[in-house]
Amino acid sequence: MASFLRSTLRTAASRALHTQPAASPASTPNALELIRSQPSQYIVASVAGQKYILSPRDLLTVPRLNDVKVGDVLKLSNIHEIGSREYTVRGSPIIPLEHVNVEATVVEHTKGPMQFIVKMKRRKGYKRTVQHKQTYTRLRIGPIHIPYSSTASSS
Amino acid sequence: MVFEYCDTYTSSANFRTYIHNHLEGIARKNPHVEFVVKQRPNKEPVVRGFYINNRDKVICLKGLEVNGIEKKVELLLDSSGAKIKPLKRRIVESRNEAARVIQQTRMLAVLDTRVPGMHD
Repeated sequence: MASFLRSTLRTAASRALHTQPAASPASTPNALELIRSQPSQYIVASVAGQKYILSPRDLLTVPRLNDVKVGDVLKLSNIHEIGSREYTVRGSPIIPLEHVNVEATVVEHTKGPMQFIVKMKRRKGYKRTVQHKQTYTRLRIGPIHIPYSSTASSS
Repeated sequence: MVFEYCDTYTSSANFRTYIHNHLEGIARKNPHVEFVVKQRPNKEPVVRGFYINNRDKVICLKGLEVNGIEKKVELLLDSSGAKIKPLKRRIVESRNEAARVIQQTRMLAVLDTRVPGMHD
């Protein structure tokens, strides 16, 4: 009985190791250093008014951006959050561009498949068919750059 | 991009005007694209776009005015050659694993925390 209790306590303690909160870093550059040191990162950015969770080399499809040509490179200016496996930095409401830089290249301007929208009112002889193709722009997200800052204190 | 037209057919008349007036300007603006103009006698005018993924898009230009032809050429230049598929649900296409996922080797280490001699 005592050994059984000891074993459950040990397994509970070992599981608790991974749920203890880490000490908060002193400043934003320190926090970003921690994030940069991890193998992969993600950002939460808003593009054309919608928020997306993005990582490098993703293909993002947004409604057609008419001011932009194929091959243009866009800088994402509204980055709300940058994170990695264990750390996250959230901006209020945006992280300034001096801390995080992400670029997106316009890959293509496409249209979706043809949609046939049928409008009908029964027993009134009213039937209309609308043909519609939605226009999209596809963007390839570039690498997430976290520039090194001189004000980060060394631990 | 290959432009195929006929000298005599009336359906190619607008296309011939386009070739005379606008084609050179478009070709200069897009130096990464090779523009070829071919004769295709006794057939309707057609423009073919060949893409890197070995697919091609063919658009018939019969019945189009010059600005209609301009729009179709723009469509071919803007496209990547990918097959048209429904894009409403495919917003982010990613091949990366999620950044916040615990890696599998680490997960195995967490599970295997049995202490020898404690479990009977």
